[in-house]
Amino acid sequence: MIELIGVSKTYGGTVKAVDNIDLTIPDGEIFGFLGPNGAGKTTTIKMITGILNADSGTIKVNGIDIKTGPIEAKRQIGFVPDSPNMFLRLKGIEYLRFMADVYDVSPKDRAQVIDDLVKNFGMEDVLNDRIQSYSHGMRQKIVLIGSLLHDPSVWILDEPMTGLDPRSSFFLKEMMRKRADSGKTVFFSTHVLDVAEKICDKVAIINKGRILFCGTLDEMRNSSKKDETLEKLFLELTENE
Amino acid sequence: MSNKTLLLTRTLIRNGEGFGIKGMKNKVSKVLFALMLMIILPGLVVMFSFFVNSAYSALTAIGQEGVVISWGIAIASTVIFLFGIFYIAASFYFSRDVEVLLYLPLKPRQIVGAKFLTAALFEYLITAAVFLPVVIIYGIRSAAGILFYIYSCVVFVFIPVVPLCLAAVLVMVLMRFTNASKQKDTFSIIAGTLALILGLGINLTVQKFIINMNPQELEALIMKGENTLALLTSGIFPTARWAVSALLDTVTTAGFLNLMLYAAVSAAVYILLLFLGEMVYLKGVVGLSETVSKRNKQNKTEARDKFLKKHSALRTYTMLELKLLFRTPIYFLNCVIVNFIWPVLLLIYMVMGTEGADIQGTVKQLMNNPDIAGTIFLFGIALFTFVAGFNGTVSTSISREGQELFIKKYIPVSYRTQILAKVLSGFILSIAGAVFTLIAATAVFKLPLYISMLILAAGWMGMLFISFVDILLDLYNPKLDWDSEQKAVKQNLNVVYSMIISSIVGGLTIYAALQFSPGFIAAVLSSILVYGVLNVLVYLLLRKKGVERFGRLEG
Repeated sequence: MIELIGVSKTYGGTVKAVDNIDLTIPDGEIFGFLGPNGAGKTTTIKMITGILNADSGTIKVNGIDIKTGPIEAKRQIGFVPDSPNMFLRLKGIEYLRFMADVYDVSPKDRAQVIDDLVKNFGMEDVLNDRIQSYSHGMRQKIVLIGSLLHDPSVWILDEPMTGLDPRSSFFLKEMMRKRADSGKTVFFSTHVLDVAEKICDKVAIINKGRILFCGTLDEMRNSSKKDETLEKLFLELTENE
Repeated sequence: MSNKTLLLTRTLIRNGEGFGIKGMKNKVSKVLFALMLMIILPGLVVMFSFFVNSAYSALTAIGQEGVVISWGIAIASTVIFLFGIFYIAASFYFSRDVEVLLYLPLKPRQIVGAKFLTAALFEYLITAAVFLPVVIIYGIRSAAGILFYIYSCVVFVFIPVVPLCLAAVLVMVLMRFTNASKQKDTFSIIAGTLALILGLGINLTVQKFIINMNPQELEALIMKGENTLALLTSGIFPTARWAVSALLDTVTTAGFLNLMLYAAVSAAVYILLLFLGEMVYLKGVVGLSETVSKRNKQNKTEARDKFLKKHSALRTYTMLELKLLFRTPIYFLNCVIVNFIWPVLLLIYMVMGTEGADIQGTVKQLMNNPDIAGTIFLFGIALFTFVAGFNGTVSTSISREGQELFIKKYIPVSYRTQILAKVLSGFILSIAGAVFTLIAATAVFKLPLYISMLILAAGWMGMLFISFVDILLDLYNPKLDWDSEQKAVKQNLNVVYSMIISSIVGGLTIYAALQFSPGFIAAVLSSILVYGVLNVLVYLLLRKKGVERFGRLEG
């Protein structure tokens, strides 16, 4: 579970990227984080993962405050950043080894990852190649695998579908569902509203640093009293801002 | 020459290619580049001019003053050829604009022609720096007529053509028949290292030449050197011979014919290059951005076994830093290789410098005097401090993260461990460099083995101290906003600050050694005490302030 209480972040003293938000992301659900460009999605995710420090407010991951127990909180999380262009000069397997060592993954669990995740993502033949030689989708896959090595109870993904081929995209959605069903937290940001509509149990819509809506899709439809697509509801909500 | 070739040449030049200023987005780097051109280049030209002038005097004595012209052309051609290899590879194959050019309706020979002309433009700088002093000094001192200067202008225009064509042919054939074009990093590392060694070699040769400059020796050298240089000009660049003959014989028809021959053959070589380009360029360049993957299935089990083995975060993080240092060409050249180049340079200068022979003799003499062993020991430690300070590994370790710093913020590794891993990776490289230096020093100065071992046993503390200071520097003043790795290390002032600090610390150690001339035991004990205390203090500072600072850094 992720809890944000009164969290704010200002850039350069003037630009308020996140403005006093409260958000609870419960276990066992796929939670979509929606919003237009520059709404504050990535800033919020970066604060939850410990990349940015919040100016004020509290962020807890499974009850652990990211400020006071950063290492323990980070261990709870598997994170997929929005750009997979990292560690390009490492081989795929070297990247996974680094992540496994850093997250303290046991040899037994590592074996399972190789046999299970790597195979399912169709990456077994390229693990010995440098990430530099990977396509965008392959880079995305290696980062996804790296984020799940330690079987995290909280999975945070920033725009995870970008660049994935249909099979991998399907597999990813299936994995998100499986993890949520097993009682884990799945929190992801996206621009693709169709995806959000199909797989999210709950969504939060953020614009200009403030949460405009948080709840199930049905709740959203009820509140606007129109039986519309998420896309239309989203446009209406963010337009009135 | 087609209009499209010229059009493309103009576009490439406007795009900043040709003078290496492509990618310099801010004005500061452009100004710095211009300053470098205005200060360093003239400095070299002045030095070279003095050399040519005195060589002319010496050569007149034996009636061989014409040799300076052949030298001028030979040196210019050689330098152009060597620079040309790197430049052509970068411009023809590794430049980002190549892919854009490929889908334009251009013939390969037009791309090759335009890229060649742009490269030639850059080479004219080198030609001017080498050839003009020769022409002016020869012209004035031999009271040459106007024809000499006109011929010189023609020769000047054609000097880069043949060497650069040869470089281009070499590179194009290499790229066509090997997969060097797809191994950009490997190519850059090998080429960069070779260039460094070459630069060092030229530097040392010139140094040796100038030091040894006395008429008799010079004459002997010329008698020997004239042959080698003549061979060089006629062997590698056969056309240069016609240029020399033309310039030395401006009054007869033979001279004019030689000049025409030189120009015509150079132009023909250029046209041949275009034909070759038409045949091989595209095949070497197409698919440049394709993935290079060996899809090596044999190593699969081995890699799997390695992956299954668990290591500590500190170890794996340190290994990661080292891997990236070795695999990124710019980091490899600036952080890894320098550890081994600086010590070598230092030693060679000490031995070969004007008073070098005396230093070596003095050291040997001193070593026989047991009272001085303490001083030598402290000198050794100071040397270790310099080695640590003069490589940019630790002082750029945060900067090198650049936009990827965020990764280091979300992994569950304490900032203290991360800082230690960064210090450790630099420290390992420094120690390797120091051991290398120590071996060289032991061989050159005939240091007793026990002193070398003791320097190593105590010297690491100086290195560690500098490494701690370096990481603090980079934590407080990181250069994270860069778009090319070059900027992270080459345009990073922390490297300069680190050099200054290590010079001060090493300098103070040397000062203490000379001032107090401590006995051996006293030197060992006091250095362990002083450096030990310094290390503890700066480590405590790092643990508190450094870790806090890392936490506040937001990429």
